[in-house]
Amino acid sequence: MLFFGRLRELTGIAEDSLEMPSGTTLADIFDRYAARFPKLASFHSSLVASRNEEFAAWDTPVSEGDTIAFLPPVSGG
Amino acid sequence: MLPTATENDLFALVREPIDTDKLARGVRADADGAIVTFDGFVRSESHGRRTLYLEYQAYEPMALAKMREIGHAIRGKFAIHRLAMVHRLGRLEVGETSVFLAVSAVHRAAAFDACRFAIDTLKHTVPIWKKEFFEDGAIWADGELPPAPPSHSQPAS
Repeated sequence: MLFFGRLRELTGIAEDSLEMPSGTTLADIFDRYAARFPKLASFHSSLVASRNEEFAAWDTPVSEGDTIAFLPPVSGG
Repeated sequence: MLPTATENDLFALVREPIDTDKLARGVRADADGAIVTFDGFVRSESHGRRTLYLEYQAYEPMALAKMREIGHAIRGKFAIHRLAMVHRLGRLEVGETSVFLAVSAVHRAAAFDACRFAIDTLKHTVPIWKKEFFEDGAIWADGELPPAPPSHSQPAS
């Protein structure tokens, strides 16, 4: 798990790892962190998830060893 | 023939000042007729407030992958020769270049169009974030949400 920008500040986490049962989706992982950091929930609609450096739908299942991130709106340039 | 390979292209995330002249020279070849560059630099004001400095953060491997995808996409759309795309990270002062693009082509239209497409797409899809520091606080800049792929469970149509 990787956190960036305002999510890194909100959680205080840059990098984390966790074990989840098989069949877990990106949304399930988000819910897990939202339970731990209630303020995170309000960001859900303004985030896009990534799995292994590709944008991914929230219902994408994850596999062992995947790198997951929840990305805020991007503001490079 | 225009080369279609991207091995001559340059994609980079750097923490030191960007040498814009060197990048523009690097895409230049005798067979080209035009180079278009885009120099994005730190503005002194944002939303009416005086900017002290900016900090850029990136999901570096993904950002580089997305930058390469942009290079690939513009080769499919425009007859360009070479592309250089460099974004700086860390703390930047007012007036310093945060992003620089240089595109060479035989003809100017392709170079203009490719450069515009590349910077617009970068701002929409590359995972880089900007924090603006003012005299009375700091905020993460409003950004653009990259398009999420369709639902994983949807059958392919």
